[in-house]
Amino acid sequence: MSSSGAGLLASEFPPSVEEFFPPALFGLDGWLTKFTIFAWVAVGVLIVFFLAASRNPKIVPTRLQWMGESIYGFARDGIAVPNLGHEGVKFAPYFATLFSFILLTNLFSIVPFFQISPNAHIAFPILLAVISYVIFNYVGIRKHGLVKYVKTAVVPNAPWYILPLLIPIEFFSTFIVRPVTLSVRLFANMFAGHMILLVFTLGGFALLGANAWYIQSISVLSWLLAIVLTFLEALVILLQAYVFVVLTSSYIQGALAEEH
Amino acid sequence: MTESPQRPRDDGQDHATGSNTGWLAVSYLIAGMAVWGFVGWLIDRWLHTGGAATAVGIVIGAAGGVYLVVRRMGS
Repeated sequence: MSSSGAGLLASEFPPSVEEFFPPALFGLDGWLTKFTIFAWVAVGVLIVFFLAASRNPKIVPTRLQWMGESIYGFARDGIAVPNLGHEGVKFAPYFATLFSFILLTNLFSIVPFFQISPNAHIAFPILLAVISYVIFNYVGIRKHGLVKYVKTAVVPNAPWYILPLLIPIEFFSTFIVRPVTLSVRLFANMFAGHMILLVFTLGGFALLGANAWYIQSISVLSWLLAIVLTFLEALVILLQAYVFVVLTSSYIQGALAEEH
Repeated sequence: MTESPQRPRDDGQDHATGSNTGWLAVSYLIAGMAVWGFVGWLIDRWLHTGGAATAVGIVIGAAGGVYLVVRRMGS
């Protein structure tokens, strides 16, 4: 997966499974890839941004302070408090961090020269989902104790004779489906978005390389679609960052709830 | 945002719970079919029943999933 159009054109056609693995940088045994660098860039940008935004706060905020406060305010008043009540305020920093990190890394998929998101590599969504998974389980266990937490999560309010049927479903749904869908949803959206933009951009070049003018002229249509789909991708980027955080908050809410 | 804490909170709540409910329902239906379908598949392997137990397991699991969805969201 090369980042620039020229690099992509030079790649093998048809693409093989090898394309899924980005080349190692500086010959470092494959652990340092483009995705690693992008994740570092995202972390660096977010640290600098929030430090600059929260440094020397004013009653009448500067533009930067306003931006930082809106992101935090959105995570707190738009996600944490509606889902978790006043207890939710203490989760707002995590939600704000999660939201801004996913949003920025997702955004890389339509930023020139980045053009692919680390979240298009399944490892990054898995790690993010694991963090949320550990948090919601930890919070639930700390509040209810291990036995009561698992019991509340797994035993639904139903007649005893139907419980053997339902308990495995509840267990599977809460402890296995949740982290899997959380990570796969983000990964698949970013990966599919990248593929679609790739298909229409490269398709334009492939059509241009044809040997008849009426096929070559279709390449304009292909590139036009690539531009339109970039805007669609921008929508998906925002939506997936939001969905990830909202679901995390809803899982925490479920873990803290007294009864179902 | 500070002068009226009640209004944005209500808006957010409706929206958030709507999508949560949707994902929860999907999760139950998938989990139901996956768990009992897998149990049925194991029984198939054990008794060489050629897929019949898997089919029954998936149907039972789907029924259980639907039951849980109705139970959680109907009340």
